[in-house]
Order: sequence, then structure tokens, then C-alpha cells
Amino acid sequence: MSGAVRLGAAVIAGGTLARSRASGESVVLPFENGERELVAYPQKRPLIRLTTRPPQLETPFAVFGEGIVTPNDAFFVRYHLTNSPPAHETLTEGAFRLRVQGQVSTPLTLSVADLRSQFETTEVLAVNQCSGNSRGFFKPRVPGGQLGHGAMGNAKWRGVRLADVLKKAGIAAGARQVLFNGLDTPLIVTTPDFIKALDVDQALDPDLLLAFEMNGEPLPWLNGFPLRLVVPGHYGTYWVKHLNEITVVDSEFKGFWMKPAYRIPDDPCAHIEPGTTPRRTVPISRYNVRSFITSHATGGRIPAGATTLIRGIAFDGGQQIREVVVSDDGGRSWKEATLEADLGRYSFRGWSFPYRPGQAGPRTLIARATNRLGQSQPLEPLWNPSGYMRNCVEPVTLDAV
Amino acid sequence: MLQRLLSTQGPATSLRGILRVLLAAGLVAGRVAAEGPFQLPKEEIRIKEGAGAEQLKSNCLLCHSSEYITTQPVLTRAQWTATVEKMRAKYGAPLVTNSVPVILDYLTRNYGKESPPKR
Repeated sequence: MSGAVRLGAAVIAGGTLARSRASGESVVLPFENGERELVAYPQKRPLIRLTTRPPQLETPFAVFGEGIVTPNDAFFVRYHLTNSPPAHETLTEGAFRLRVQGQVSTPLTLSVADLRSQFETTEVLAVNQCSGNSRGFFKPRVPGGQLGHGAMGNAKWRGVRLADVLKKAGIAAGARQVLFNGLDTPLIVTTPDFIKALDVDQALDPDLLLAFEMNGEPLPWLNGFPLRLVVPGHYGTYWVKHLNEITVVDSEFKGFWMKPAYRIPDDPCAHIEPGTTPRRTVPISRYNVRSFITSHATGGRIPAGATTLIRGIAFDGGQQIREVVVSDDGGRSWKEATLEADLGRYSFRGWSFPYRPGQAGPRTLIARATNRLGQSQPLEPLWNPSGYMRNCVEPVTLDAV
Repeated sequence: MLQRLLSTQGPATSLRGILRVLLAAGLVAGRVAAEGPFQLPKEEIRIKEGAGAEQLKSNCLLCHSSEYITTQPVLTRAQWTATVEKMRAKYGAPLVTNSVPVILDYLTRNYGKESPPKR
């Protein structure tokens, strides 16, 4: 493990409120205390900065209106541990190795070039969404990363199947879980390292990838270069970045980042009464159904007497979106939107809806998606104490003129 | 004590030494990134001044930057207490025991509110 602390007198900024700003531009997310700076990081355009150390960056929502694939330089960034990202020089082809170890017959040590040459390469277009995406909209508010809707993105991930690598290593009989650890490390040894676990049968799902490319380029440094786990349809917490250690174990992993962190109420909708405590929790897993209007934002203007094409995106945990409907009367009546090309069950699904307001005045539009299981979105937000899995409809109010 | 807590997988001894000095001086360090294009923007501490600010810097800001505090909604004293306790118990933060009440007062005064009375 590397992840040097990288300290130095030159960067001390103690004592006073610093005034200089990295880019000078800021945005206000639409909830209390939502002021954020736009800051450019390596390989990134200016993004909405939530935190500096470790870096957490959010995609400005307008990006989702520009295309169904989220560009690498706009893709959100989320880290947990102080020493993140790992120093770039520890991640180069010469330095980086993935170890597959534990309850296996043949432990492996592989470079990224080894992965490319020894295993079949494949790709998937898949959404990566943070468990706490949209946490800032929770009412009552909950502590945690106060994100708008920009901790999600849709990218083409290219790599090798995790199952193929595990089969080559040979999983021992009696193995129960597979653990994933990356090169990001805590500053203090008493802080739990960021390790995630999947059951063996889930880890052998051929949809899971060890990805080294994102949208045709090597993974950006801040998105896990040179290798990350891709778990399509599942929250980003499992998509371990800078992945250098896969360990097969014969027991259920009890580490902090599986329990008590990243747990949801054991309830079909992952919600409880605001202010109460869940009786039983389970690890967060697949995305629930979401949809967004992306062509227009609240405060925008559209002509009252002409037709405007309203466009948006929808996605779920891999069951596939079946339908998107739009309402301009608070959900009393709905009209069906047209689904755009199907780019795979793990991708954003584009949709469009020709809308003619008729009369001038404010118009609040809501979109609601349904998947093939019939799972949909609530009209009112649901609540849980960690601020996970928000998926209610997200109204956009436009001025028809 | 602190040296023992610092990750053995982390910095060279000399860097640990620097950190100790910085902490002793009540300063919190940012980070020097690698040379070349892979350099992170430098960290700045932006918190309200006042009683407890120094204790907060030397305890809380060891492991994370100040936005972890300043971007929170207005939390009650009970919520800040639970958060600080989580940092100690779950994240292993080596908080100086007699600094904790001072930090909680600071957080409640500057980034929170008193808890409503229990009925």
C-alpha cells in the first residue's frame, strides 16, 4: 500500500479564513447552505466541490442534458479516506499490481497489461450513482455529504470479467464472500480501511467488471485509475477504485464499510418515519427507479403557444425502464413520453415529450418512470436516517410565456 | 502516541515528524501532490473564528477538510454530538478528551442549534 500523507509547510493554511478561490465561480444548490465552488481538478472541468480532503466533486446538473453518456471530465468524484486519491506514481503500469488472494487455489498477481492479455475484454454502458446522491434534498435534513443530484453518471466501462479472474484463481469450496480493497488509505491506523464485500455468487455474475477504461480512455485518476470494480445496477459504494486487492474469505465480512456504514432500513422502500431509527438494516444494493427532466431547469422559460420538446433520463437497478410518463397537473393526469434508443439495461435511458402549455403562466412538470417489474417513483419523498436512495419525482417549474 | 496512530502504510518517518510538529503547533496541513499534471488544488481552512476553533482544527481537521463541517445543514447539539462520537468510536479519531466539549460548543454555536427540550 502506498498513499503517502504528502504533507508540507508550503500548503499550510491555518488560522484565518482564506480568501483566494480556486476558480472564483460558485453555484448554489437549491437547499439551505447549498453554496458551492466550481473547481477544476486534474483531468476534470470545473465541478461542484463538496469537500477538498478527500476530494468530493459533483457534476453540474446541466451536463446530463448534453448527452446520455457523461464525459469523463465531468464525472463525479467520491472518496472516503484521507489519503485519496493515491499518489499517481503508485498507479502506473510499472508500479501497480492487482493481487487475488485468500481462499483460492492459485493466488494471482496481475498488472493491467496482464489483465488485458490473459482475459477476454468486454464493456458495459452503466450508471454509477452514489448512495447519497440528492441527500441535500432530504426533509428533515440529515448529516452527511450534502449532495444535489450530480453524484451520478453514465459511462462505457471496459475491462475484464471479475468472474473470469476469480475462476482462474480458483475459489475454494466453502468460500462465502469476496472482499475488494483499493490503494486509498486512512491517515490514522484506527480508521477502518475502505473495504467492500460481495457474496461469492454475486461476485461471479458475468456483468461485474474489473474496468481499466471509461468512455474509451484510461480511467481518470480521480475515478479509480488504473483499475476499478464495476457493479452495474448497484450503488457506487461497491465500485472500489484503485482496486489492488481481491480477497476471497470463508466468513461474512464485518468491516465498518459494510456494517454499520452503507446500510438501509430492511423495508421494501428503504424508508422509515422521519426522525425514527430502523429496527433492522441490510447493506444497500441496487438502484431504485429514478427519472429526471434534463432539457430544462426550474426558472426556465418556454413558449405558451408553441410545442417544446422536454427531454430527460431514466434508470433503475438493471430491470430496465418500461415507461416514462409526464404530468403538468401534480400527478392527476399523465401522458406517455417517448423512450429513446435502448442502450442497455444499466444505462441512462433517454426520453422526450412534446409539450405545449396552451396558456401563459407557471407550469410544474414532473416525470415518472416505471421499470419492467412495475417499480416506480413515489410522488412524495421517502426518508431514512442516512439520506440514501432518494427516488421521488423531481418537479421542474417553467414559466410559459 | 500520534506517531503510533499514523498509518504505517503512509508517510516516511520524516513526514510523520513534520506532521507531529504541525499538530503540536496547532496547525493542520494540507497536502503536496505529485509533480506534474497530477496535482490537487491546495486545501484551505474556512471556518468561523471563535472559542473552540483551534481545538476543532487540531482534532477534526487532521483527517478531513473543513467543508465536512461547513456544508452541513444546521444540526442540533444532539446531532453534532452523535457525529463527533461517530468520528471517535467508528472512525477511530484520536480526539483529545477535554477538547470534545469545547468542540461541541463551537459546532453548536457556529454550525448548529441547541436541541429542542425533550418532552
